[in-house]
Amino acid sequence: MTLWHKLGMGMAVSGLVLSATLAHADDDKIVVGFATAASGFMQAYDKPAQDAAMIKIDEINKAGGLLGKQIEVVTADTKTDRAEGAKAGLEVIDKGADLVVVSCDYDFGSPAALAAESAGKISFFLCAESIKAGIQGVGPHSFSASVLAPVQGATMAEWAYNKKNARKFYRLLDTWTEYNKGICDGFDWMLPRLKDAKLVGEDTFKNEDASIAAQITRIKSLPEQPDAIMLCSMMPGVVSAIKQIRAAGITAPILNGSGVDGSYWLSAVPDLSNFFTPVQGSIYGDDPNKDVTAFNAKYKEVTGADPSSQYVYPGYVMIDVWAKAVERAKSTDADAVVAELEKMKDEPTLFGPRSFSSEIHHQNRGRYLIVETDKGKPRVIDEWTISEAIPVDYLVSK
Amino acid sequence: MTEILQVVFDALSLGSLYALGALGIALIFGVMRLVNFAHGDTMAFCVFAMLWPSVDAAAIVFAGNLPAWLLIPFILAVGAGLSVLSEIIVFRRFRNTNPATMMIASFALGFVIRYFLLMLYSSRPKSIDLWSNLGLPVEILGARIPLLQVITIVTAIAILIALTFFLKRTRFGLEMRAAAENFTMARMLGVRANRVIMLAFALSGMLAAAVALILVTQTGTADIQMGGNIMLIAFIATVIGGLGSLPGAVFAGFLIGAIATVMQVVLPPEARPFRDAFVYAAVIATLIWRPNGIFMPKSAKQRV
Amino acid sequence: MAERASILSRTIATPVILGLLLTAIALLALLMGSGPFNQTIIDIFIRVILVVGLYIFIGNSGVISFGHIGFTCLGAYMTAWLTIPPPMKKMALPGLPGFVLEAKLPFWVGVPAAAIFAALIAFFFGKILMRLSGIAASIATFAMLALINQIYSNWEDVTGATSSVVGIPINRSIWPYFVATLVAVAIGYAYSISRSGLALRAARDEATAAAASGVDIPKERLRAFVISAFVMGGGGALYAHSVGVVTPDTFYLGLTFISLSMLVVGGMGSLSGAVIGVVLLSTIIQILRLFEKGVALGDTVLTIPNGVQEIAIGVIMIVILMRRPAGLIGNREVGWKGFRKA
Repeated sequence: MTLWHKLGMGMAVSGLVLSATLAHADDDKIVVGFATAASGFMQAYDKPAQDAAMIKIDEINKAGGLLGKQIEVVTADTKTDRAEGAKAGLEVIDKGADLVVVSCDYDFGSPAALAAESAGKISFFLCAESIKAGIQGVGPHSFSASVLAPVQGATMAEWAYNKKNARKFYRLLDTWTEYNKGICDGFDWMLPRLKDAKLVGEDTFKNEDASIAAQITRIKSLPEQPDAIMLCSMMPGVVSAIKQIRAAGITAPILNGSGVDGSYWLSAVPDLSNFFTPVQGSIYGDDPNKDVTAFNAKYKEVTGADPSSQYVYPGYVMIDVWAKAVERAKSTDADAVVAELEKMKDEPTLFGPRSFSSEIHHQNRGRYLIVETDKGKPRVIDEWTISEAIPVDYLVSK
Repeated sequence: MTEILQVVFDALSLGSLYALGALGIALIFGVMRLVNFAHGDTMAFCVFAMLWPSVDAAAIVFAGNLPAWLLIPFILAVGAGLSVLSEIIVFRRFRNTNPATMMIASFALGFVIRYFLLMLYSSRPKSIDLWSNLGLPVEILGARIPLLQVITIVTAIAILIALTFFLKRTRFGLEMRAAAENFTMARMLGVRANRVIMLAFALSGMLAAAVALILVTQTGTADIQMGGNIMLIAFIATVIGGLGSLPGAVFAGFLIGAIATVMQVVLPPEARPFRDAFVYAAVIATLIWRPNGIFMPKSAKQRV
Repeated sequence: MAERASILSRTIATPVILGLLLTAIALLALLMGSGPFNQTIIDIFIRVILVVGLYIFIGNSGVISFGHIGFTCLGAYMTAWLTIPPPMKKMALPGLPGFVLEAKLPFWVGVPAAAIFAALIAFFFGKILMRLSGIAASIATFAMLALINQIYSNWEDVTGATSSVVGIPINRSIWPYFVATLVAVAIGYAYSISRSGLALRAARDEATAAAASGVDIPKERLRAFVISAFVMGGGGALYAHSVGVVTPDTFYLGLTFISLSMLVVGGMGSLSGAVIGVVLLSTIIQILRLFEKGVALGDTVLTIPNGVQEIAIGVIMIVILMRRPAGLIGNREVGWKGFRKA
């Protein structure tokens, strides 16, 4: 093991990297760069949304392209690692990306988004649901394609209050991630706005807790049982929590964030009932918008499987709104496209209206479909948009 | 009164999981001074053995559909098999190397198992419904306790009794205890090292499988990282209990389970997220108080 | 004094050679001029700093510490507190003391301050923990890591809990990282030939004899602990500036085990092992990643499935340890004429 030996190895590596980076963009195409996870933990979350984005890109290319140019896709793997994420961001920028698409989760997507921001490129989070995924946490060229987590909590609270006559709420927070806390933040913001509604108790747990027996004992020893339980949690711990709550004989309605959408996990809690989830579009074939069902079929045709959850959809929305902004700006210049995106007010998309402004590059209000799971069968029962948008100040202060 | 009883049961059932985990680590540490960081991944492997490999979101339950009287031995065999295999392929070559090297080797092995599962099944947690009727509550002295909690506690106690019997009354057990006490001496006196070590690995693998079965019934989820947390607590329990001391490991497992449950009950809501911080502070305090663990085995006494 | 000079002249080759190796790597990055490659090299430099930090304590004392990544966490957050623009800080981290909230310090002040902060906290923890030895000490350091992680994951107003702390100025130039790595190697070397380092190594190999010759083991361990925490804290701060975001879970078990593995694979008791272990494993990882992307060999493109890289690196580590239980370099150090015993 000599020094020269190692240097030789380094040279070999660098030679290969060099050949990889020579492919620079030219002017007759538009490049979309995906700095997302192709392996590791986040892959299961990035891949579906990325597939949906590819479907939209394909549609645009077949219809003659964007500004008359074909969209080309380049990718780099973040390996579900933050330091690798920064590298992946730099790599797609090197390959000439006009739009940098980054990982679903703010924590894992932000290093690549920051790299794009400092290169003056637009970055789009595939489905991050924190206010930071945008101006506040990256910079003026960054956007997210999904709807904020607090909107989900607020939607469920207001909907349950109006439609389920819920007055006594219980709040159970899994402190594992920001997403979970975001749902509960939205719930906290909405609750005082609902007349006569009150919190009869609250507790926390951790996603990895082997048992939440102590938390359940606390619910059961309440003097009055809650009308609804706001459960702010996500996979995988949420399944365990739901299973244990129901096993303990607590039958109160459970309100959730979109993270629990999907029927793939329902076999763990057979005959689950009284269970409510907000979704941007329905994967169950009963979306009020027929085009969503058509998209689901298309998705299955391309990927070989049905969408597993609503987190497929933001990928499609992302390319949709970005492409519209590019058309309107007649350029891929980042500042011009950002200006067009910020003009969007209730821009219709397949999965609900989208608005952006110079204050917020995310949705602080949004139309949600309400899915009820009854005896283990999920279906869309309602639709709800919160009565007022959650103020940016509140979101940022959390 | 019933509330206190409820808390006692909560603590016991969490403690049983930790105790079984700790026992699996202590057994191997006893015979070969190896802190086996692959133990948690062995648990995850046992869980995934119930599923057919696929990266789809929905789980394809395979072995998990077997009737209980076939499934339980099958999963135990998977755990024991994987554990023995890792001894034959990997750990056998690390006899007499320093504990740090062995520990890193076990970590690397766990890493390989984890990423192997990730490749086959993807990182998305999968759902399995295993014996969900065990979730139904039963009444004990006025408290409504989920049947599974009772079964967990009873199983843990049964395993502990059976293991004690095995170690105290059989020749294998005698050899193993001798090996745990002083491996070199035991070898000189005719204990066959490979056989004892293999047996320890098989038992440890079965304990991992038992924990996996309980976990999966309780949570209904198969997740690649599911063994990790229990393994860490088990590891701590093994040390607090007195490394190499099997009763110590079990006792410390129950102790940590009890502390965590009681903290969750008594802490005010703002302090509850810091629950684990208190538990770890208690661990440091215990170690300062008794550096060699609560039950110090004779072999661990330092001669200086 | 004469003795010291003779140790110095006998061993100075080690840091010089390691420094040359690092310089060569930095020049390579400069030569390439590619953004992602530059970032890869920065990453390797940070890893070298962390593993050298581990070496200072673990290598010299022989006590495996699982806790050092906790100091990396402390360092990363410290520099974040000091360097994030005040308006962002007031929004995200309102619980910080007033003078910190108002502060807008440059990168080159933030990093040393972070290192000093980590060393200070290490001093307090070390006072309690360094009384322990062997596996009890290892577990106690692990409990310390978990404690730090739990506090940083939940202290909403000051650390932003689990949410990412953003707004840390990013520095993508390779030079600060290069210089810091050289400094870390110099500190590692200086400690290992210092009186304290020699005493601690004596105690590692022969505890009884060392204690009998008047070595105050807990005191020497505490010194190593504080110095290594200084390096780890600085490494954490540099990590924060290289990526621009920090969260508590970055600095937990994953990083702990990867860094420990690199140290053990390189050779636990050797500074050269620490540096070469990182460089070698990082190189292998990069090569495997290239293959994941596909490498053209003649007309055929060689590709390995995604995820094989992690499995392969695990297997490679096990095989290296099987062949060389004391690590690649073992207990030796590089010298002008090959290796010498440390």
